[in-house]
Amino acid sequence: MTPLERAEARFGWKLVAPTIVILGLLILYPLMYNVYLSFFDVQLNGSKIFVGLENYIKLLSNTDYYSAIATTSLYLFGTVVGTTLLGLAMALLLRDPFMGRGLVNAAIMLPYVAPVISVVFGWQFLFDPISGVVNYLFVDLLGLWSERSNLIGDPDSALWVVVLFDIWKHAPIAYLLILSKLVSISRDQYEAAAIDGYGPIGRFFHVTLPELYFVLATVVLLRLIWNLNRFEDVYLLAPNVETLPIFTYYQAFTGVIDQGLAAATSVIQLGVLSIFIWFYIKKIMKW
Amino acid sequence: MAAIELKNIVKSFGDTAVVKGIDLNIEDGEFVVLVGPSGCGKSTTLRMIAGLEQATSGDIVIGDRVVNDIEPQHRNIAMVFQNYALYPHKSVKENIIFALRRQKVDNQDIERRLTEVSEMLQLEALLDRKPADLSGGQRQRVAMGRAIIREADLFLFDEPLSNLDSKLRSHMRTEIGKIHNKFGRTSVYVTHDQVEAMTLADKVVVLHDGYIAQAGTPMEVYLNPANVFVAQFIGSPSMNIIEGRLFNDYLQVGNYRLPRQQLSNVALQTTINEQGLPVKVGIRPDFFNDSRLFPETDNTFNFNQLQIDLIEPMGFDKEILFNLAGGSVKARLDLRSEFKRGERVDLIVDLSRVLLFDNETDLRL
Amino acid sequence: MLGKKTIKGRIGFALAIVLLVSFSLLPFAQILSTSLKHQYDWGNPSLIPQSINLDAYKELLGVTEPEQVEIPAAIQKILNNPKLSEDKKQAIAAKYTANDNLFPFGKYMLNSVIFSVGAASFSLVFSVMGAYSISRLRFKGQVVIQRSVLFVYMVGGVLLMVPLYQMAMNVGLASSLWGSAFCLFLIYIVQTLPVGMYMLGNYFRGIPFALEEAAMMDGCSRKEAIIKVVLPLSLPMLATVFIYCFIIGWNEYLFASVFLKQYPEFHTLPLALQELFVSKNAIWDRIMAASMLTLAPIVICFLFASRFMKGGKTDGGVKG
Repeated sequence: MTPLERAEARFGWKLVAPTIVILGLLILYPLMYNVYLSFFDVQLNGSKIFVGLENYIKLLSNTDYYSAIATTSLYLFGTVVGTTLLGLAMALLLRDPFMGRGLVNAAIMLPYVAPVISVVFGWQFLFDPISGVVNYLFVDLLGLWSERSNLIGDPDSALWVVVLFDIWKHAPIAYLLILSKLVSISRDQYEAAAIDGYGPIGRFFHVTLPELYFVLATVVLLRLIWNLNRFEDVYLLAPNVETLPIFTYYQAFTGVIDQGLAAATSVIQLGVLSIFIWFYIKKIMKW
Repeated sequence: MAAIELKNIVKSFGDTAVVKGIDLNIEDGEFVVLVGPSGCGKSTTLRMIAGLEQATSGDIVIGDRVVNDIEPQHRNIAMVFQNYALYPHKSVKENIIFALRRQKVDNQDIERRLTEVSEMLQLEALLDRKPADLSGGQRQRVAMGRAIIREADLFLFDEPLSNLDSKLRSHMRTEIGKIHNKFGRTSVYVTHDQVEAMTLADKVVVLHDGYIAQAGTPMEVYLNPANVFVAQFIGSPSMNIIEGRLFNDYLQVGNYRLPRQQLSNVALQTTINEQGLPVKVGIRPDFFNDSRLFPETDNTFNFNQLQIDLIEPMGFDKEILFNLAGGSVKARLDLRSEFKRGERVDLIVDLSRVLLFDNETDLRL
Repeated sequence: MLGKKTIKGRIGFALAIVLLVSFSLLPFAQILSTSLKHQYDWGNPSLIPQSINLDAYKELLGVTEPEQVEIPAAIQKILNNPKLSEDKKQAIAAKYTANDNLFPFGKYMLNSVIFSVGAASFSLVFSVMGAYSISRLRFKGQVVIQRSVLFVYMVGGVLLMVPLYQMAMNVGLASSLWGSAFCLFLIYIVQTLPVGMYMLGNYFRGIPFALEEAAMMDGCSRKEAIIKVVLPLSLPMLATVFIYCFIIGWNEYLFASVFLKQYPEFHTLPLALQELFVSKNAIWDRIMAASMLTLAPIVICFLFASRFMKGGKTDGGVKG
């Protein structure tokens, strides 16, 4: 290395040093510390007793844990499929310029940027058994349901409200990703397909979809990664829907506090997450 | 202003060597053009002179300083980039005077030089615009202005005209030539266009595969190329290379025998055995003449009865293709010579223009 | 596109757009509507209030005087007792005059602003430095750092809440008010830094190297080239990243609840709103008005950012 190259390398390290320190100390170290904690009985005040694998044994024999996994799987399935399909539909719909597209764009991006804490109250009101417009619509107006029900109060139906909420909030991201790919597909391809005798549906399946294959895979993977850790959106809207993050939160900070058990849950979850992230970095990201 | 010396410069990126050992002297005030096909190492060489890349080994001397370990900003060099690299957030004026401002040149002086440069490059009307509002040609002129306003030791040009259309390119080429004649500053100019190299350079340096294939004045590299690569790279259309066999008394090309004594531009004087020596014969298309228009002399050779395969009229010139010694050969004649395809013609060549190259090494004989 | 534009197609398209926009905006409309309704009007499915009720907003923004609470006569007697120290008297009086019903919205908003603006500022500075380094400078280990940043970018807060809380406990920060606030502040920086690095890294990569090289040819050092060329050029993106980081902090609930739940005077808006909601001191119009006011800064920022983003182009300076 020449002196100038060395100087550049030194400058590079200097600039990135604060980031390394902060992220190392407050993310990488805690992740490892978490593994350590998972072998202890940990109290809220910080006292610890070594218990070996007991937390894991307790966890794996806890039926609530399995039901949390089941809930999480349903949640992931519903949100990934819903978000991707809605995002795709939005992108196809809004692909070509029309008058007022900017406004429509801003409107559909709004759920994504809005604070969860404010919009959950709007949603809760919509699903309110007495005053909510959803019950009014399905019971009084359409007569599809025989009686008003508290959809958020019942964990089974609340799960689907939470899924719908997530689709509402995160479809805009899928939309943006898909749209940016969609507009890059050259017109020539469509014109060639049209000359070869394909109609709009044929063109969608033979030109659009193959081109979008990669970006759709990206959307699915990203949704999985983000939603596996999703906390606020679920907890604040319907605290009775126990996905894994909420299960962990309850273990760690409410009722009979067992932070060691929460740590063990997080360790397993990090393992699964790492597989998704590894996939993402290996197959999709060229960072 | 300063002279430059490159001493055995090598540059590798990882395991791939891009520049494999270059020695070059550039004199004070000289305009040197580095020319070659893409990937030959010409841009890398220029960037090493600028300090934007570090040589893996070897020394670069500017004036009396070895600059290897001097940062680019301290080398006192001005440079015109291929994509112009104008600062998008600054106006044309700010772009041009950015370096002067930094050097704390006093305002009056800045204004004076700005006026001079913007007059020379016809930028007066554009000074308050942003680069995004300029056409390609205008941006190019701003990039030129940003360089020439400085009193740098050395001016570097990295393919400055390659993004312009051909008309604008030849106009700017002339402008660059005029500017150099006016200021006489040491300049290194990189291009892949041999026309730019020929027209602008005091010295042309032809690079090939990380080495200098030949350095010399434009006419030297044109008339006396050191090897087949330079012979074919410089000049358009490029030189015909024809298979031939050299004997003691004559050079056999197809069915023709050219007298060896009159090949005055061939240095090889050794005697040759009976089988003869296989050689590559180089004749530029421009050196063929129509026998009906040019008198034969002692120093010319008549390739008679060549059958024309193809005629490509280009206005004043026309290029005709015919078969000679198993290869397709091109000749450039002008509009006075009229032929039809399939016709047979007699073409004469000045024997002093016929070059020979070694069959194996491609070097001149 | 290629298809002919039939009347049917146009109507279908318009219908789809209307449906989509309604789906996106309905919850917002509901919040706005309920925040403006009187209680008797809540059960009415129409979004338009029968009459506008601004009380909730007035109360939250402190436009109306809070009701004076009378100190009971018995207590007043104790207060008049000369034997009692002045301090104690005040403490007792305060206890009875404290208006539990009051929701100090302004204070929570200020807390939220301090946490999110502060953290976003630090994050921006660090991520400019870090992102420049990993996207522009050449040194060994760069790729590892890039990958690690991407990795931590995707590790969610839930996986960190236990260890971070325990770490804060171990060093004794979690047991004091200022310590907890400091922890939360650090955590907000950590949560936004990878995002900022990621966004800016991608952006810096798009700025042509030649611009900095030109600056160096013009006599700038690397640092000067960054300050005079790269940063001015990135202003729109810097603003976007800042707003993005700000939004993350503004919206954050999990760590705020872990660290600040017991310190009401430091509650941020999400925490305060949730506490208000579960306290059953809750009245819909008040909650909705508070939601509306929490929402407003974000919407403004977002509109600002999306307009800003369009200006963030480097073309013009460079062809290609």
